Amino acid sequence: MDRDPVVAVRRTTELGLMVLAGVVIAGAYVLAALGRSSSLPANLVPLLVIILGLLVAAHMAVRKLAPGADPLLLPLAGLLNGIGYVFVARLRPDLAGFQALWTVLGIGAFIATLALVPRTRNIERFRYTLALFGIGLLLMPLVPVIGQTINGSRLWVKFGPVSFQPGELSKIVLVVFFASYLVEKRELLSMGTHQVAGMWLPEIRHLGPIVLAWSFSLIIMFFEKDLGSSLLFFALFITMLWVSTARGVYLGIGGLMFAVGAVLAYTSFDHVRTRVAIWLDPWAVSNDAGYQIIQGLFAFAAGGIAGANLGQGSPQRIPAVATDFTFAAIGEELGLLGTVAVLGAFLLMVGAGLRIAMRAEPPFEKLLATGLTAILGIQSFIILAGVTRLVPLTGITLPFVSYGGSSLISNYVLLALLLRISDDQAHRAAQAAGAQDSTQLGIR
Amino acid sequence: MNSQIRTLGIVLMVLFSALFVQLNNLQIFSAGRLNDHPINTRTVVRDFTEPRGTIQTKDGVVIAESVEVDDDFERLRRYPEGELFAHITGYFSFTFGNEGVERTYNDALTGRDRKVTLDRLGDILLEKDKTANVTLTVSKSLQQIATDGLAGRKGSVVAIDPRSGAILALADYPSYDPNTLASHNQDEVRQAWAALNADEGRPLLPRTYRERYFPGSSFKVVTAAVALATGVASLSQPVYPTLTELVLPQSSEPLRNFGGSSCGGPLPEILRVSCNTAFAQMGMDIGAQRMAAGTNQFGFNKVPPIDLPFGAESAFPDPSAFVRNIPALAKSAIGQQDVAATPLQMALVAAGIANNGVIMVPHVMAEVRDSRAELIEQYQPKPWVEAVPPEVAHAVRDMMIGVVAAGSGANAQIPGVAVAGKTGTAQTGLGTSHTWFISFAPAEAPRVAVAVMLENQPSANEFTGGALAAPIARDVMVAALAAP
Repeated sequence: MDRDPVVAVRRTTELGLMVLAGVVIAGAYVLAALGRSSSLPANLVPLLVIILGLLVAAHMAVRKLAPGADPLLLPLAGLLNGIGYVFVARLRPDLAGFQALWTVLGIGAFIATLALVPRTRNIERFRYTLALFGIGLLLMPLVPVIGQTINGSRLWVKFGPVSFQPGELSKIVLVVFFASYLVEKRELLSMGTHQVAGMWLPEIRHLGPIVLAWSFSLIIMFFEKDLGSSLLFFALFITMLWVSTARGVYLGIGGLMFAVGAVLAYTSFDHVRTRVAIWLDPWAVSNDAGYQIIQGLFAFAAGGIAGANLGQGSPQRIPAVATDFTFAAIGEELGLLGTVAVLGAFLLMVGAGLRIAMRAEPPFEKLLATGLTAILGIQSFIILAGVTRLVPLTGITLPFVSYGGSSLISNYVLLALLLRISDDQAHRAAQAAGAQDSTQLGIR
Repeated sequence: MNSQIRTLGIVLMVLFSALFVQLNNLQIFSAGRLNDHPINTRTVVRDFTEPRGTIQTKDGVVIAESVEVDDDFERLRRYPEGELFAHITGYFSFTFGNEGVERTYNDALTGRDRKVTLDRLGDILLEKDKTANVTLTVSKSLQQIATDGLAGRKGSVVAIDPRSGAILALADYPSYDPNTLASHNQDEVRQAWAALNADEGRPLLPRTYRERYFPGSSFKVVTAAVALATGVASLSQPVYPTLTELVLPQSSEPLRNFGGSSCGGPLPEILRVSCNTAFAQMGMDIGAQRMAAGTNQFGFNKVPPIDLPFGAESAFPDPSAFVRNIPALAKSAIGQQDVAATPLQMALVAAGIANNGVIMVPHVMAEVRDSRAELIEQYQPKPWVEAVPPEVAHAVRDMMIGVVAAGSGANAQIPGVAVAGKTGTAQTGLGTSHTWFISFAPAEAPRVAVAVMLENQPSANEFTGGALAAPIARDVMVAALAAP
């Protein structure tokens, strides 16, 4: 396997890209430190060793555990993670240590996932366990005593000193469940008995899963007050349903239900109305509710094309800049060049993810890769578009970049699963090629 | 499924393209608008933490400086002279932005001026202080004399070098202490701001260049110049009839001379005694069109391009305003009705007559030097408007000498120096008068032009421009001429 030329090229490419990411991160860190205090940080060398060590460790793990996997995803994730770290360290030095710890745990989770899931199909068996687990995670913040409300959203769970956002992980678990469930039921779901005005309609009883997913979205919105996750969750399900059944009508039904949910949310919640009002006219409430988004816009404008340089802007003026508004800080200090680079990194990751999905043969893997990539794409779009005032702002994290352990660990698990699917396909291709070789030998 | 996955890819691509477009919009196309947004304090904060150069007077007195303090902003802006230069330096306030020279020369003071940056490109790695210091054309001694002259009366004093347009003094009362607005204690700043805004004397208003008043008879200098330039009058013709009042067409209310006196005669005589009836007739003879055009030649209806922010333009009505209102033209010709001028503009009128009819661009900046005292920029005098031809200017000058030598402006006489001047006492219609005096000296080779204006003085013979304003102008001219 190691001698497979495709595998060797992929891993060499990955190593090269990892080194490049490492150089960019280290350079950015030094510049940020210089920009703030005109002196080199004392912890520079140990820190660089840790960063490079982590990147190398992740790379070695892929070499060992998923040698045929796509070479682009890990360096891109590493780059985003590193840039995110530089900004967390620059914006909230008090959180830098934690973010480093989360990165270690994230890479650990990445390696563990690769090790625990040697073949993608292994996880398909646990689908109902995973479904229960995912729903459990999703609803966990609602449990009294352990559930915590922070910034008006009930997303957190606290056990003693450790608190985390179970919703981050539950998205991935539920995507695994959706994929396996939809692969099994997709023929049923794509059968239609009704034809109304020449349009295909699914049977009423098959609408059950959509209604269920919709209800869950509403629960997240109503009880956890988390608009972003609610939207992400529902969009994810509808996307996967549509991809698996090839029935466009599900998009229509999904859109309709989304509209109903949106109207319901708008009419029943002050905070939803406020969010929409802020989006439409933040200037009217520039001193309170609109302050954050306006300061974010000012940060982007202050950055211009080339940015104010690392450490030389004043992104601290934006509330919650290290978590929800990291991108605005990037916009201010790295300018349009920086924001477009980050945008490009996400787009490349989405492209790589969808390529894995296209190439994967088993429907489950195909659908799972699509779902996981959709999480990355949709989630990053929701928050980036929110911060740039393209859509109303919802407080979800920017994958790999924002501060936060739950988010970082979950996204590394997601990454590991994508690489696993990619490696499976390479493995199958290698086996097929090997079989062909031996057949040819036999003929000869 | 692959075609759906491809479609999903396209959809995500479109969504990210929308983000790309929006980023371009925010960071390039709307960036200027967002950066300049009034509630965007980002630039101010950046300026606040950055080093900032000093502002000093021509005679070397520092009137704005940054001192290092131990708080988030690191540096505090101080104004050692307090109220004296508040309307020139302006303030540099975190909460309320900046004003005055702090505003117009912000880029130079912070070192962001391209001229400074380019010069210092090689110093970037050396961490040199790249700020620049601004030296003004005003001197503390003259500013003090001008301020003392006002003696706590609301009003303005503007002194200009007519040859260059350099502002030598720009004093007004009341003023304020800019230190109160530059404080880092935002509650104090807000309180001070509220108090200053609530003050009926409007101490935050730089009256010298941002407030307009009836110029009254001081405007007769303009009318006389226009009459000469258009040929409506010469130094000997016509001889205006001696009257105590002039009945205006379309009107039953007669226009009277000051204090009910009767006067008339040729142009030098009527200017010397400031004869309302004759000048009103002269304005009507000139006609709306030529009167408006001639006044605009002096810079009316244009903001003087002084290097201080938000200047006001002085006003003379459009000729169409007089079509059915001839009395308005007659009253405008004597500086009443719809004519309004800033003290700066009237100083520029005097300066223009003094400088052979050419009004130079007024300015307060003399030069900008970097932190190593190397010259970055020196102000290059340039003409603003050509008010009248030189021969007209000379004729008006000679008549203005008569005003001081043997007319209403006798209080401005300086022994051994020929002074040209014109008084003004403009009725506000509220039972008070704005008293004016505009002048320059030495008349044959002017080095200083002055406008003095006192607001809302009692309407009585002992409270005329000649009585109140002329002595202040004299003191300022004496001091200016004594300076090197």
